Amino acid sequence: MIQDSVLGPHQEILTARATDKKILKNAQDGGIVTALLVYALEKNIIDGTIVAGDGNEPWKPEPIVATTKKEILKSSGTKYTMCPNLAMIKEATRSYGLEKIGTVGTPCQVMGIRKMQTYPMGLRHVTDKIALIAGIYCMENFPYDSLKAFIQDKAETVPSKVVKMDISKGKLFIRTSDNETAIPIKETHGYEQSGCQYCMDYVAELSDFSCGSVGAKEGWSTIIKRTDTGASLIDNAVEDGVLEVVETNEGKFGLEMLRKLATNKKKKRQKNIDKALDIGLEVPFTKSDLKEDILENR
Amino acid sequence: MSKTITISPTSRQEGHATLSLEVDDEGIVTTGRYYSITPVRGIEKMVIGKRPESAPVIVQRICGVCPVTHTLASVEAIDDSLKIEIPKTAQILREMCLNAHMVNSHAIHHFLVAPDFVPSEDYKQVVKNISEIRKQAQFVEDVIGGEGIHPSDIRIGGMAHNITKNTKNKIKTRINGVIKLIEQHVEQMTKYVEAKEFPEDLGKHAQPVLATSNTYGSRQNISLSSINEIMPNSWYADKYTSQEDEEFAEETKKTAKKIGKTACSQIPLYDNTPVETGPRARANKYRKFKDVGVKAQHLARAQEMINSAERILELVDKIDPSAQTMAKFNLEGTDRLGVGVIEGPRGTNLHTAKISSDGFISEYNCIVPTTWNIPTMGMATEGNHYDYAPDVIRAYDPCLSCATHMIVVDDESKEVLKEDMVQL
Ligand SMILES: Cc1cc2nc3c(=O)[nH]c(=O)nc-3n(C[C@H](O)[C@H](O)[C@H](O)COP(=O)(O)OP(=O)(O)OC[C@H]3O[C@@H](n4cnc5c(N)ncnc54)[C@H](O)[C@@H]3O)c2cc1C
Ligand code: SF4
Repeated sequence: MIQDSVLGPHQEILTARATDKKILKNAQDGGIVTALLVYALEKNIIDGTIVAGDGNEPWKPEPIVATTKKEILKSSGTKYTMCPNLAMIKEATRSYGLEKIGTVGTPCQVMGIRKMQTYPMGLRHVTDKIALIAGIYCMENFPYDSLKAFIQDKAETVPSKVVKMDISKGKLFIRTSDNETAIPIKETHGYEQSGCQYCMDYVAELSDFSCGSVGAKEGWSTIIKRTDTGASLIDNAVEDGVLEVVETNEGKFGLEMLRKLATNKKKKRQKNIDKALDIGLEVPFTKSDLKEDILENR
Repeated sequence: MSKTITISPTSRQEGHATLSLEVDDEGIVTTGRYYSITPVRGIEKMVIGKRPESAPVIVQRICGVCPVTHTLASVEAIDDSLKIEIPKTAQILREMCLNAHMVNSHAIHHFLVAPDFVPSEDYKQVVKNISEIRKQAQFVEDVIGGEGIHPSDIRIGGMAHNITKNTKNKIKTRINGVIKLIEQHVEQMTKYVEAKEFPEDLGKHAQPVLATSNTYGSRQNISLSSINEIMPNSWYADKYTSQEDEEFAEETKKTAKKIGKTACSQIPLYDNTPVETGPRARANKYRKFKDVGVKAQHLARAQEMINSAERILELVDKIDPSAQTMAKFNLEGTDRLGVGVIEGPRGTNLHTAKISSDGFISEYNCIVPTTWNIPTMGMATEGNHYDYAPDVIRAYDPCLSCATHMIVVDDESKEVLKEDMVQL
């Protein structure tokens, strides 16, 4: 295990995408999350998974318990608003009767799951059933009203017409079937949920594996193999041809970029944490002067 | 010479109780008194003035061994008070949850009595089997009740969730898988119990049985007007053996009076006499099982594990995963006394509740299985050597915290004012 305070503990980093065209069609980036959840389901590593499914309003996801490939596929793609996946974990073990649950979440959600496992209060016969935690990189997330503001005020359309949203190259792209609007990320500042201001984890450091688009070419993903569970899942998926791998770009637009973004997030957020702690606010993170390495996520 | 033997607290049971036994020269019990010394929590009082939906959540805390039973009795009482007809699937789910709990709770009791019956060379295996049986039963309780301990999904008006088809199949597979082990375990326990050298008539008594149904509980089969709850002092005060020795006679009377003041449970009588409730009572009434006494109780309890597991399999096939599990109702009080009767592992659990017209709980009362059994248990120790008395008690699988009611103590004199005992 490589101990790395920027990217978190990991075994290996690789660049890959799903081989299944159907998965790639709707996936956000390389379709890694969808492909691996489906693969884990087929290999009986999980017997169902919590994903961000469709909610009552377009682009406002709701956590669902997916137990079929079809349901997992239907929930692929990023929704840039909060989806409380953890809220379904207990129910997944109850009326759904799952015993090996897969989950996907942003870094904060992954932290939540690990905390649940460490302090399983009110979670009898739940945490021992969490079998796989897929993490997705995350710089910030937006309340649904913010998202609507981007769509309606900046892109001048309505949520139901949007076919894809993506953050890349410093912009938030909002795509409809016949148009594309690019909003500079700077203009989205102030719209994110306030908790993100104190979040130091960019790459879901506590997940079994995490992935995102940063560091890879368009349509591909950078995967960080972390735990043995995550690593063996990915190794087997590659061996079975579920994922195809290309050489990882170590340079400026590859891993260097990933490290730069992760470092910047940590430094910026540590400042916010310090400020909050200085004025006596309760923030569950450590002040920089008490840390040996300020990049450490704690 | 006659003497009084006190065993306090009695062991390998839930909660705290005392056995006070008057014995003759040979050590044979002439008067057996069993009484609860578990501190009271006042649960029934706590729910008064609260919204109905708080009651199941609060009263399930009466007991950590039997929360499913209390939750069910509570929602049944409130459903009855509010005249809510729950959907069929919800009724099936409730009964399945109770039967899973029955298997689980009886298995726990086998942990408690294993030292009495199981030979040391088999001990490890038996404990392993019990653990496996409990695991499968708890799975059913978890997925249906939402939580094995303190179930969250048993609600007024039905059940919060149905189960998915996947869960339905899992229950079937798991219970089908474990039923062989249950049968084997029951056979083994039966063998140990039968081999145990107990006096022939140990635990036999002439009291009637109380049971309302084979596997769930029925308010139709109990008559509230036949129930009479009396204060412990009037029950225990004359529970002593007449003695020739004057000094000792004085002492026994004093002891009996003191017990009447210390005991923390009321004495419920059915048709003016104490009853036995529990697995043997149900087996007697609904399964043609006629034996009485300690061994009979253990055998009936073990057999009931199979009965309940089979019932789960019967019911699971009837579940429609797409059906509604909550009734549509307006939470309007009726001022009507609702009755909830559940056949719990230890016997008939009776909750009564009234919801006032402004929608708050105005009356709440429980008579739980061990409360029924307490007076009978003392009587059942009589006629045999006191060495066997704890075996008689354990055959009832008593649960004292459930049975406890509130006592009122005079602040100044520290005297327990039994006449003012608050019905909780
Ligand atoms: C708020 C947010 C911010 C992100 N920021 C970055 C970033 O800065 N840099 C970067 O490289 N990547 C970021 N990502 C991750 C990226 O957008 C992709 O989700 C990731 O690369 C996985 O793509 P994929 O093709 O492998 O997954 P897919 O196969 O498309 O599957 C995506 C999975 O994520 C789940 N999901 C979608 N939305 C949410 C949500 N809101 N909460 C929880 N789960 C969800 C879906 O249910 C699905 O299972 C962000 C994701 C989110 C949700
Ligand atoms: S920035 Fe952090 S807190 Fe905000 S959504 Fe992403 S992981 Fe969660």
